[in-house]
Amino acid sequence: MNERAISVRNGRFEVDLLEGGSGDPLLFLHGVSGLEWTPLLERLSVGHTVIAPRTPGFGESTGTENLDDIHDLVIFYLDLLDQLGLHEIPSVGHSLGGMFAAELAATQPDRFSHVTLVSPFGLWDEANPVADLFSMALPDLARAMYANEKSEAAVAVATAPQARMTEVDPETETGQATIKYLVDRAKSMSTAAKYLWPIPNRGLAKRLHRVRQPGLVIWGECDGIVPPVYAEHFAAQMTNATVHIVPDAAHMVVDEQPQIVAGLIDSLLSR
Amino acid sequence: MKIEMFHLCPYRDLPEDFREQHHSVWVDVPRHLFDGEIANRTYNQTLDELKYAAEVGYDGICVNEHHQNAYGLMPSPNIMAAAMSRETEDVAIIVMGNSIALYDPPIRVAEEFAMLDCISGGRLVAGFPVGSAMDTAFGYGVNPATLREKYAEAEELILRAWEEDDVFAFDGKYTQLRYVNLWPRPLQKPRPPIWVPGAGSIETWNTCIEKGHLYAYLSYSGFKRGKQVMDGFWKVARAAGVDNPYHAGFLQLVCVADNEQELHDKYAAHTEYFFNKMLHIYPGFADPPGYRTIDTIRAGLMAQTTSFGRAGQEESTFDELRDAGNVVAGTPGQVADQLEQVINDLRIGHLMILNQFGSIPHDLAKENIRRTAQEVVPKLRHLWPEYEDHWWPQNAVVRDNIGATPE
Repeated sequence: MNERAISVRNGRFEVDLLEGGSGDPLLFLHGVSGLEWTPLLERLSVGHTVIAPRTPGFGESTGTENLDDIHDLVIFYLDLLDQLGLHEIPSVGHSLGGMFAAELAATQPDRFSHVTLVSPFGLWDEANPVADLFSMALPDLARAMYANEKSEAAVAVATAPQARMTEVDPETETGQATIKYLVDRAKSMSTAAKYLWPIPNRGLAKRLHRVRQPGLVIWGECDGIVPPVYAEHFAAQMTNATVHIVPDAAHMVVDEQPQIVAGLIDSLLSR
Repeated sequence: MKIEMFHLCPYRDLPEDFREQHHSVWVDVPRHLFDGEIANRTYNQTLDELKYAAEVGYDGICVNEHHQNAYGLMPSPNIMAAAMSRETEDVAIIVMGNSIALYDPPIRVAEEFAMLDCISGGRLVAGFPVGSAMDTAFGYGVNPATLREKYAEAEELILRAWEEDDVFAFDGKYTQLRYVNLWPRPLQKPRPPIWVPGAGSIETWNTCIEKGHLYAYLSYSGFKRGKQVMDGFWKVARAAGVDNPYHAGFLQLVCVADNEQELHDKYAAHTEYFFNKMLHIYPGFADPPGYRTIDTIRAGLMAQTTSFGRAGQEESTFDELRDAGNVVAGTPGQVADQLEQVINDLRIGHLMILNQFGSIPHDLAKENIRRTAQEVVPKLRHLWPEYEDHWWPQNAVVRDNIGATPE
């Protein structure tokens, strides 16, 4: 895997790009938790060149202040794809990135050969509300994100420092590490809030019918963030998509069951 | 020194087991606990208490804005202020204030404050709070990450609407108006003084210094923690050549009685009601992402700059709250001594006192208001004689303090 920074729109955005593997390019858009080179990406990079940009506002990617709404975000990503010369590529989007992938595919259907949405945000069903992830206590958040709340990843979420409860001494090394973590989290969560606050509905339902590529909608059976019932809501409006509910997984199905998710994507791309 | 009485207009009749049985006093407080008959009594008692504070000698009376909660029943403090503009003759009417980022268009605030200033005859203080996370982000659905930007734009629009002589067009990111032409306009020229209640962010210090607004640190963490925040404010202020204590205000819960036994008998349960029920706020509603600015987090000031939530995180007793400085309680002499120390330590020219808080009933509230105003306030007014208060409404009273200076 190679990581580099790419400058978009004359430096208004400096975006980290993770790239790895060989073969035809595949675009991966990360979720609210941010971007890492995970086992899923490693597995997808066998047979594909995985291109995974870090959305402005996450990590070191800059320029989130130039993005006010989902429309700005879509245009930013189209600029980035233009710059990378990516056309007719498969896209995979998870969580917030799933919402972005759906918006992008609806805006420029011809840009994408296949579309995979994994537990995406973007629709609202009053009878089955999406969880208010911005107000959830961390242990509740961990349980909603992971099927196994005892897993290392779930415990890390449940026990992370919280800004309002944390006494920090900026003079110490530990204090600085905590502050860095809290600043990163504040930045990424406020970025997510641009597209999800207070209700994760920016009108995608009016556009989703334009996503007519061969598509996949993948959901963790125990997703406590976006309930699995949304899988059918997405598939019902996408013209050519199938639904797969993955057992023993929740919102973080990409990390919880990477082999299954990668296998489903492989089958889609062979269509 | 100016001393004002602040009223939150709390719901005084929550059940005994509220903290154990319910999720939060704010945002999702169960509506079956609301009783219109009780609210009728609460509002009218609150108005009576505010009026009484003016009668017995406070310099001003303060009301503020909160939403979807039992902690403070004034989603529109302007309604209370309108009544007080009529019911009082000379005190400052301090609306503390309107959360200007919540109004679309924010010109509504400029209009209502102008009305209040005209009705009261130039006695209005215009408060511009960012607003608590519970009120703004959860109650009114504003993205906390854009709240401050929206606030800054609203402030610019309101000030221009008050101060500019001609009709103008306003092309903002959040508000676009082809014609801005305020009618009525404030009686005070160029406008009422602006007070900014702050807690959540150190940027507010800079804003208040740059723009000349009064910084009011409203916190229930008490004066001991308050010192840390006010020291930060004064550091910024002094760097800009500002050292007038009237530039700053502080809020303090106060109760007065003749002895320890009476203090406990009269106030312990009501104080505990305030901290254990009124501040029983689900932590997830108190600090959503983006509400706290990055600079505040970098400064390691998260825990210090929150007025809500932390104070109510653990159940506390009256004695603990007194020891921590969350409430100043004692005989009039003890209270005056302690408040004088607070005033000097924090370097504040405006002290906002809560005499009714929690479940303090009407008669006891009046007693506390009267005793504080008559036996404590006169002992404090002589402070800061060498400074001029530029943050007082043009036509509000400046009480003389003859005979009140301690020997």
